[in-house]
Amino acid sequence: MKTRNEELKVSALVLAVRCALMVAFALPLGAHAEEDEAVALKHPSNTVEFGALYSSQNSAKFGEYNGLDNEGFYGLGGFDVRGGKGYDSKDSALRWQLNGTGLGTTSRTLGGSISDQGKWKFSAGYDELRHNITDTFQTPLQGKTGGNEFNLPEDFGAINGNNAFPSARALTPNQLGAFHTEKEYTTRRNAPISASYAFNPQFNAQVDYNHLEQTGAKLIGTASQGGINLLGGSTGRAEAVNIIMNPTSYMTDNINAALNWTGDKAHLTGGYYGSLFHNDYNSLSWQNALASNVSACSGPDCFVNNTMSTAPTNSLHQANLSGGYAFSSTTKLAGGFSYGYNKQDSSYAATGIMQASGEPFEMIQGGLPASSLNGQVETTHGDLKLTNQSIKDLTLSAGVKYNERDNRTNSDIYNYKNTADGLYTGVNTPYSNRKTQYQAAADYRLTKGQTLRLAYDRDHLRRWCNGVVGGAECLDSPSSDEDKIGLSYRLKAIEDVNFNAGYSFATRNADFNDIYQANTGDYDENVNSRNKLGFVAYPYDSRKQHVMKTGVNWQVTRKLDLGVNGRYTFDDYNATLGVQKGHSAGVNVDATYSYAENSSVSAYWSWQNRERDLRSGRDGDPLTAPTQIWTNQLTDNGNAVGLLTRHGGLMNGKLEITGDVSYALDETSYSTQVPYLATCGNANTLSCGTLPAIKNELLSFKLTGNYKVHKNGKVALAYIYQKLNSNDYFYNGQQFGFTPNRVMPTGLQEQDYTVNVVALSYMYNF
Amino acid sequence: MMSAHAENIPTPAATPAPVGKVADKTAADELDRDSKCTRCHDENEKKPILSIYQTAHGNKADSRTPSCQSCHGESEKHLSGKSEAPDVIFGTTSGAYSPSEVNEQNTVCLTCHEKDPTRTHWQGGAHQVADVACSSCHVSHTAHDKVRDKKTQPEVCFTCHKEQRAQTRKFSHHPITEGKVACSDCHNPHGSAGPKMLAKNTVTETCYTCHAEKRGPFLWEHQPVTEDCTNCHTPHGSNITPLLNSRAPFLCSECHDGPHRSTNPVAGSAAGTQGGLTAVPSENFTGRACLNCHSLVHGSNHPAGALLQR
Repeated sequence: MKTRNEELKVSALVLAVRCALMVAFALPLGAHAEEDEAVALKHPSNTVEFGALYSSQNSAKFGEYNGLDNEGFYGLGGFDVRGGKGYDSKDSALRWQLNGTGLGTTSRTLGGSISDQGKWKFSAGYDELRHNITDTFQTPLQGKTGGNEFNLPEDFGAINGNNAFPSARALTPNQLGAFHTEKEYTTRRNAPISASYAFNPQFNAQVDYNHLEQTGAKLIGTASQGGINLLGGSTGRAEAVNIIMNPTSYMTDNINAALNWTGDKAHLTGGYYGSLFHNDYNSLSWQNALASNVSACSGPDCFVNNTMSTAPTNSLHQANLSGGYAFSSTTKLAGGFSYGYNKQDSSYAATGIMQASGEPFEMIQGGLPASSLNGQVETTHGDLKLTNQSIKDLTLSAGVKYNERDNRTNSDIYNYKNTADGLYTGVNTPYSNRKTQYQAAADYRLTKGQTLRLAYDRDHLRRWCNGVVGGAECLDSPSSDEDKIGLSYRLKAIEDVNFNAGYSFATRNADFNDIYQANTGDYDENVNSRNKLGFVAYPYDSRKQHVMKTGVNWQVTRKLDLGVNGRYTFDDYNATLGVQKGHSAGVNVDATYSYAENSSVSAYWSWQNRERDLRSGRDGDPLTAPTQIWTNQLTDNGNAVGLLTRHGGLMNGKLEITGDVSYALDETSYSTQVPYLATCGNANTLSCGTLPAIKNELLSFKLTGNYKVHKNGKVALAYIYQKLNSNDYFYNGQQFGFTPNRVMPTGLQEQDYTVNVVALSYMYNF
Repeated sequence: MMSAHAENIPTPAATPAPVGKVADKTAADELDRDSKCTRCHDENEKKPILSIYQTAHGNKADSRTPSCQSCHGESEKHLSGKSEAPDVIFGTTSGAYSPSEVNEQNTVCLTCHEKDPTRTHWQGGAHQVADVACSSCHVSHTAHDKVRDKKTQPEVCFTCHKEQRAQTRKFSHHPITEGKVACSDCHNPHGSAGPKMLAKNTVTETCYTCHAEKRGPFLWEHQPVTEDCTNCHTPHGSNITPLLNSRAPFLCSECHDGPHRSTNPVAGSAAGTQGGLTAVPSENFTGRACLNCHSLVHGSNHPAGALLQR
């Protein structure tokens, strides 16, 4: 039964429809079209896309992040649907949206949101990404990718890990037969959920939660335990290297909850941030077959069982407060404070390694101080910034920032056996640091279009360790101060030309404690962090730094834009040994020509260069400066050029073509000089000279055509060609017959590819 | 990352009225004033002016929704003679009219948006002092503002940050151009208390958002790792995997010369037998070099892991 009100509504609706029809027939067709267009502009356009794609080659590198790692067909799917009364009604602000992309690949996303704008909003999503690492990794170890236990086949036998030429250290056919290829990848799955609610115009609350799940594995180097007696008089080769699959069986839950208040002159946000990381494993175990005095043997007694730790489960809880206050329209204060508590109490991995003989090898002598670390770090942050614009054309700002990482973890003694079977006493040294930054700046508008900025920063950094057992030193640089002054200038020379230039100079003075001993045990050279006298690690060295930047953007005409900018930095370090100096430079040139309403062509070129000089000593000790000095230079060059074109309005506006071609060449090389050694270039040492450059050359071409088949439908045809030429000496030492004598080959190959992709899809708009 | 819910955070009614805004009117009243503009600026405009009704700025039932005049000013001169520009013109390049001064444009936007928690540090921030206009990055008359979409955001940022554009195309990179990581996942373009406009207070805190497995604290810490990830890594792209500033053993040699054979110069020897070396290659130099054994460079939680090997 209809109520009176419903009847009225129906009547009104019928009347409205009738009126609309009358008006519609009375109006010319052109007006219909215009109304339709206006309505279409005011209302959301929904899209659904589906199609297929073919990729021509298996390549983990090409499919590193796009999910197209295998040759073959993939489905294409995506949608974006929006709705709600909030698009039409003056009474309801309700709007919703659902979307999805990349549904046919492992790079898919799904999401949805609904909101009553100004009152509340809720959203949820799903984002998947498979990071393909390599598809050429080979190993004789048996065990699933993602697991934490890897064993050799029982009949694998031992391998000579002594000083034999790798080519002579042939693996037996049986051993070679045990090698198999494992695809290495990690998969991350994010599931974010957000909600916000406005209690009133002054108060609102917001909660963002994300659940991140990671599976798969990454490759990791391992050092095998020495001093294990094997069958037939062999001994496990110390530090023998097996590259294995380190599981990433992780879960991270991040939650950010905040309550926001906004007043006339002030606003304040108080919140909580929590980050809970969980690893399913606390250890990783594997077997090693590389042995000294190898003898023919079979069975598990030919192998050393090993174990190592994995990333420990940990948590962070942080309270945050931030806000701002406007003293006047020209004087404002902003600031924040955070306190965080980071805890890690994951149980230690086993320190006894059970060998096949039934005898455990104990890595810790005299027992452990505790079964877990009970690691605790407190982080504190504070910042305050005052800005003032009360003097015409002058903006002043001053601020202070404070960041502290206070590691409250206990320091204890660990009597451990290293991988070479030596017994050492190690003391863990929980590192703490505090950085205080003072900043002041003045921006002065010289004339309309001309601005000058002068800025001064002072950073004070202090490092320490709490309660180190025995009071031992734990740092070689307990503190440093850095002063930085910067001057920049901006000019709008004429209407459409913008120029800027800037220079900054920074000087860092670091205290240095060269009697510091690394607390890892009584090794040789146990002074100056086990470095030679005069050597300083570059982050802890005194330094002078110059930075110059400049750029110009010119809108030549309404159709043509040009831009050029460049940057140069120079670092000069103080220490006798270590990094001496470095510089970097970059130039970017861009041009865009928009020759028609929907048509343009743009081009760019980027060049980057970076160099670093290192000086080191061969002889000497921590108390005597070395006289045999060798040097090493890093040179890194990058070039990228690209051309992007979009041509619309073809075939009566039905066809649009976009093209994108780009080329990138990056080269990194190392050069070493050893002046004290005339024979350094001898093929037996090759300790001087230049390494072959690590070179990556990527050519990419993409052509897409969108054809409007009817008012609401488009067909897209895309062709992608991508070619990677990669040369990297890294892979040399991984190959069968070419590895160092203590390294198990992996056969990893350079990741060259030439891939052709054709994609066809249909997009429906409604 | 900037919250996707930002548009849902209300602005108090007591906020000073922006350019031309008529106070104490409902959203519908305000929007009715739009008709002064939409009489001419209709569906035939080259720019999709009417698309603003698809955005948060065009939700008619939200009392905070601005009218055309709220942002562009009353523009009386423009209404009386089309050759005169409206009071406020947004944008960075000249079209039919020259854009207004950046400060003037931003003042309009900040009238409503300044007190958003993500914009607390706008004043004095790197973008503010560099005269970046809101309209340099945002397009308000579209339902698909590129900078607010993860897949298209980088191309907006790369308009100015061209060096980072080139870096994201290097051999080793975060999946930025692939649309799986956005610039705003790490940076707050509206200003922050962190370095380089990072969303968190420190570099390490920012990285731990996704890489929480590196957070520890570990039993055996690697000191520079606890201070700043960029001592070894470069975040936007590198020729050396994984996002490294340099390749081991040279990377390690920048801080260590003492332990065992790293005092020995390394050159072609790192390329192994295939590089012309006739002696047995050293596992200290080739392949992963130092990281063949000292692989737990982010810290070890093993009681016998003092040398970051276990």
